[in-house]
Amino acid sequence: MALADVTTAFLRRVRPTGPAVFNLQSTCRYASSNTSPADAADLSSSPFQDSSACTPSEKITAFDPAARARALRKRGGRLPPSRYQYRPPRYDRGPLHPHQPPPPSDPASRLFEAGPFSLPRLEQTYHDTLASDFMTLSYTHFPPGESAHQKGARLRPWEGESPYYANRALRGPRGGDVLRLLRKPITFNNIPQLQGITVHSMVKGAVEDSAHLHVAGMVLQAITNVRAEAHATRKAVAAFGVRKDQHVSVTCDLKGEDMYHFLSKCVDVVLPKIKDWKGVKGSSGDSSGNIAFGLTSEDVALFPEIEVNYDMYPPKMIPGCHVIVHTTARDDRDARLLLSQIGLPFYGKFIN
Amino acid sequence: MNAGQNSARRIVASANPFIRDTVCISCRHRLTSSSSRRHAATAAATAQSSAPPSPPPSSTNSTHVPPVTTTNAIQKAYAVLAAPILSRPPLLTRELTSFEKAYYLYQKRLNERLALPFSRYFYYKKGTPGDEIWKRQVKSRKAAAKDIGVYSGYGDEAWNDEVLVGSKLAEPDEIIKALIKDAEGKSVVEDKAEAEEAEEKSQEEVAKEEMNKITIEKPMSRLTEADTTNNTKSLNRKLDRSLYLLIKNKDGRWRFPEDRVYGRENLHQAAERILVQSCGINMNTWLVGNHPVGHYIYNFPPPSKKSALPAGPNGGRLSTVQPNAMVPTSLTAGPKDVEEFGEKLFFMKGRIMAGQVELAKNEFGDQDFAWLSKDEIQQYVTERYWSSVRNVLADR
Repeated sequence: MALADVTTAFLRRVRPTGPAVFNLQSTCRYASSNTSPADAADLSSSPFQDSSACTPSEKITAFDPAARARALRKRGGRLPPSRYQYRPPRYDRGPLHPHQPPPPSDPASRLFEAGPFSLPRLEQTYHDTLASDFMTLSYTHFPPGESAHQKGARLRPWEGESPYYANRALRGPRGGDVLRLLRKPITFNNIPQLQGITVHSMVKGAVEDSAHLHVAGMVLQAITNVRAEAHATRKAVAAFGVRKDQHVSVTCDLKGEDMYHFLSKCVDVVLPKIKDWKGVKGSSGDSSGNIAFGLTSEDVALFPEIEVNYDMYPPKMIPGCHVIVHTTARDDRDARLLLSQIGLPFYGKFIN
Repeated sequence: MNAGQNSARRIVASANPFIRDTVCISCRHRLTSSSSRRHAATAAATAQSSAPPSPPPSSTNSTHVPPVTTTNAIQKAYAVLAAPILSRPPLLTRELTSFEKAYYLYQKRLNERLALPFSRYFYYKKGTPGDEIWKRQVKSRKAAAKDIGVYSGYGDEAWNDEVLVGSKLAEPDEIIKALIKDAEGKSVVEDKAEAEEAEEKSQEEVAKEEMNKITIEKPMSRLTEADTTNNTKSLNRKLDRSLYLLIKNKDGRWRFPEDRVYGRENLHQAAERILVQSCGINMNTWLVGNHPVGHYIYNFPPPSKKSALPAGPNGGRLSTVQPNAMVPTSLTAGPKDVEEFGEKLFFMKGRIMAGQVELAKNEFGDQDFAWLSKDEIQQYVTERYWSSVRNVLADR
């Protein structure tokens, strides 16, 4: 391509389309939604805000990009490659490579995942109601001059005459090598919240017939809106008839919007329909703020997504599952308080 | 640093019961009980600063009691009041901003491009009416999603995923309309052929269709009758906001329901009692936690000769506190004379589950009540009151 062609092509792009259109665009807001009064209240007054002046010109309303592209193709032309035919590189060849992939948030990226698609009701309730209530409930009052009890250091120094003890990393706590999470007083910036949900199903029947695993995957996908992941056994167990590397379980990891939708679906729709359900066991939890409960196959069949076409699932293949709720609480007591605020009842002895 | 602690301790240790009543029960209990719970460092610091001539503490965890000066001079005393802030949390989700609406629609269309195709055979058996309806609808709207308008995520024109100027596709009303149309078995897009068919139909056919028509219940409006009439007494108003109970007291001031704390009751008990005495028992309420969420201090103006209220020897306001019938500990103590310099109001957080205020059962002579959202409260209360309450109230 000659240099002259390049410059004309470049100039054509740079040249403004016309003063009238330009002015209209700069002062009007064109969107697929109305401006809500709340938006207007947040903004200072500007010509952009005045939507009454925005009656799109005929040229704008008549604009149909698809028809334009069709006509262009008929004439033998192509869509501008910069915008419509960009393919990101297949591999990330490092920061020094001239051809860099776009960030994952870019719709053109190969890693792009669409979403979120809604603002879940439970999320809104958490931020407006539950979080502030939690802070009020967990407040501990110390009169002037008093302070919270400070525990001693949990790691012990190495005491002895051995020269190898100098500068050695500290010893773990007495009576076990697990350092449990420390609970800090709840303030506005560490109110526990939901972090994620793992829905897990180990399918016994999958040892004999993999069809069970496929159905379990479909069921979990349907109720969670997340692609199910199959897991293989790590060890062979002769007593269960399990060989090594056999796929027997599926999990779904939920985050964000899916997590909120799933939990509110459980709390509002599924759990109230279970007969004689006592609640989540009070002893459930891993003592660091994650709480699990189980659903039988009859309970899973109560999910609206399964109920709507129950007949399409092979009989007696709908699996039960474990639901593990991960919270940012540092101990089970706080996690239980959060979940009971959301609406999960607990029964029995509470163990932290 | 230790001034507050010392004064609190002095009040607790003093023999005057009137002064003792100005410290809340739980704090008094903590201060009078052994100080083993106190941080060792604080105890040492107190010992150094308050009693320099005393010998140094033998061990860091020794119980340190600061010297108590028993003075007969009356301390500044305030009337302690409790005020439950009763709220109805939002029942509906908030209205989305225009940006959020547009963003969600665009993400839905992008998802249509990236998602695997809908597996029709899994959801609809071949030859069933559901299958036929599905095929017809998908033909017209091109995509599996029902609320994104006519758009295909596959093929030559998948790039055309942006909505044109003036389209109202992202509006919730439009989405509801599309979903209802879909549930009724009609196609989302109005076909010209279909419209012509409808015109050509005889009356019998139309009547027959009317008989077989599926009617889908439409979602209720976000606005209720109370919204249109702006009925501030109703709890059905402003369903997407928190509403707070405000009461017009006998002086004509709008405030949260409030009353003095009597006898040995604590703030939580007082708040529960105040709700019963000011609004009747026809309310199912829950007080969130035992601690106040905010406070308001009001100093009485210095007594002048013109004022009818009797002034005390220290320049405070003299009055007699009559016992409250609902607090047994105050009944046994009987009426007591107090000299007060102002009032301290502690706000307790409460939620209403069911019921409504019955002003006829009010024992404080209150005149009126209203359920108001945060921004409305600002217009009802005084500026000073608002500044102590504004951060307690939820934004939504």
